Amino acid sequence: MSATDKNQLPDTAHTSTDSTTHFGYQTIDKEDKVSMVAGVFHSVAKQYDIMNDLMSFGIHRLWKRFTIDASGVRPGNNVLDLAGGTGDLTAKFSQLVGKQGKVVLADINSSMLNVGRDKLRDKGLVQNIDYVQANAQYLPFEDNTFDIVTIAFGLRNVTDKDMALRSIYRVLKPGGRLLVLEFSKPEHEIINKAYDFYSFNILPKIGELVAKDGDSYQYLAESIRMHPDQETLKAMLDNAGFEQTSFKNLTGGVVALHKGYKF
Amino acid sequence: MTVPFTNIKKQLMFPQALAASLEIIINQVLSLGSANSSLEKLGQKTLTLTLAELGFPLSFTVTSDLGASNLLVTSLTERADCIINTSLKTLRELQAKQQLTELIKQDKLDVTGDIKVAQQFANMAQNLDIDWQSELANHIGDVATYKLMQLGKKIAAKLSFAATQIQTDASEYVVHEQRLVITKNQIEHFNQAVNDVSKDVMALETRIARFNKSPNN
Repeated sequence: MSATDKNQLPDTAHTSTDSTTHFGYQTIDKEDKVSMVAGVFHSVAKQYDIMNDLMSFGIHRLWKRFTIDASGVRPGNNVLDLAGGTGDLTAKFSQLVGKQGKVVLADINSSMLNVGRDKLRDKGLVQNIDYVQANAQYLPFEDNTFDIVTIAFGLRNVTDKDMALRSIYRVLKPGGRLLVLEFSKPEHEIINKAYDFYSFNILPKIGELVAKDGDSYQYLAESIRMHPDQETLKAMLDNAGFEQTSFKNLTGGVVALHKGYKF
Repeated sequence: MTVPFTNIKKQLMFPQALAASLEIIINQVLSLGSANSSLEKLGQKTLTLTLAELGFPLSFTVTSDLGASNLLVTSLTERADCIINTSLKTLRELQAKQQLTELIKQDKLDVTGDIKVAQQFANMAQNLDIDWQSELANHIGDVATYKLMQLGKKIAAKLSFAATQIQTDASEYVVHEQRLVITKNQIEHFNQAVNDVSKDVMALETRIARFNKSPNN
C-alpha cells in the first residue's frame, strides 16, 4: 500500500467471513488474530503509557476519568477491567470500591498484565486487585459475578466482538453495566480529515521514534478505522442482550463511551 | 453523521479536566501540610459539592495508598456521604461554623447526608499549616527564596498602590470632571434644601389655614 493511499479503507473492509477477520486492513484467518495482536502488545507494553500520553496529548486520562464518572461505581462493588492493560482504570476503581469491593484486572496479553501489575503494586494498590490473563471471548468467571465491566481501548482487538459481548453479558450481575470506551468515528468532517492525517502520517512516526515500532502504530490506526462506528457498536450491544444501551461521543467522536445494562 | 461544533464543545470534558487538576493540586498541598491524621479520620468518606456556577458535582473521596491518605476527585454522586449544593460566594461565607445554620435558613446552602463529614473536611482545610517559604527554599535555596519573597512583597505593594491610585483617579474623573456621579456633600446639600422647602410649605399651609379661619374672611 503506497503512502498516499495507506489511509484509505481497502475494498475488503467490513467483509470478514466465518473463518476470516481483520488485522488492521489485512484480512486474515481468525486463528491468527490472537497471536498477531499479541505480537503488537508484547512489543509496545513497556512504552504503552508514555505512548498513550504522547499520542493523545494526555487526553486519554480524561476519557478514562469520564468512564469512571459514568460507571456509577459504589463501595463494595465487584469490577472487571477487561483488556485493562497497564491498569489506569483499575487504579481508580480499586480506590473507589474500597476494602469491601474487588477489582479484577484482566488482559489477554501477559506483557501488558505484568506492566500493569508492577505499576499498581508500586502505587501501593494491592489489597483488592486480582490479576487474570483472560480472553474476552471466554471469560473464566462464573455467571452474574460483576457489578461493572469496563473494556477500554480493547474491544477492537478482539477477534470475535459479538462473542466477547455475550461473554461479558454472562458474567455481569443483573443490574450490572458494561462500559466500552473505544476509538470511534469523528462526527465532523474537518475533525475526521485532521484525525486521518494525524493517524496515518504522524502516529506511526511517533511509534517509530519512541517505541521503535512504527508497524504496531500503523496497525493501531488501521484497527481504529476497521472498528464499528457508534451506531453499529450500539446495535451489537443490543444484540448481545444489553438493555438501555446508549453512547456518548467524546472529543468530537474520536472516542465514544458505550453503556449497556443487564437486567 | 455531522453535528454542529456547539455539541463538540460539550464533549471537551471540562468536569474531568477540573477534577484531574484539583486532584493534583490538593494532593500536592496535602503532602506539604500535616493533614494526614485528619485525612485518616475521613477514611473512604466522600463529600460531594455542587456549585451553582459549575453545574456539575465534584466529589472528594479519601483513599489510602501505601499507608498515606489521598483525595480522589471525581464527578461520581453515587457514593456521597454528604452532598452540599451551594455557590462559590456562599462557600466563602462558610468559614465560621456558626454560619452554617444561618446559611441553610437563608436557602443559600442545601446539605444532604452526614453533616459531620462536611465539617471534618472543612476542619482539615482550615488546619492546613503550610510554611510556603520553607517549601520554596527546599527547591530553590534560601537566598533565592529570600530574594523572591522580597520581590513578591515589592510587587504586591506596587500593585496595591497602583490599584488605589487608579481608584482615586477614576473617582476624580467621574465625579468632578464628567460630573456623572454626585458627591456626599451635594446629597447633603440637596437634602437640606428639600427640608427647607418642606418647612416653608408647612409654614405657608399654617398661614393659609389661619387666614381661612379669620373672621374678616
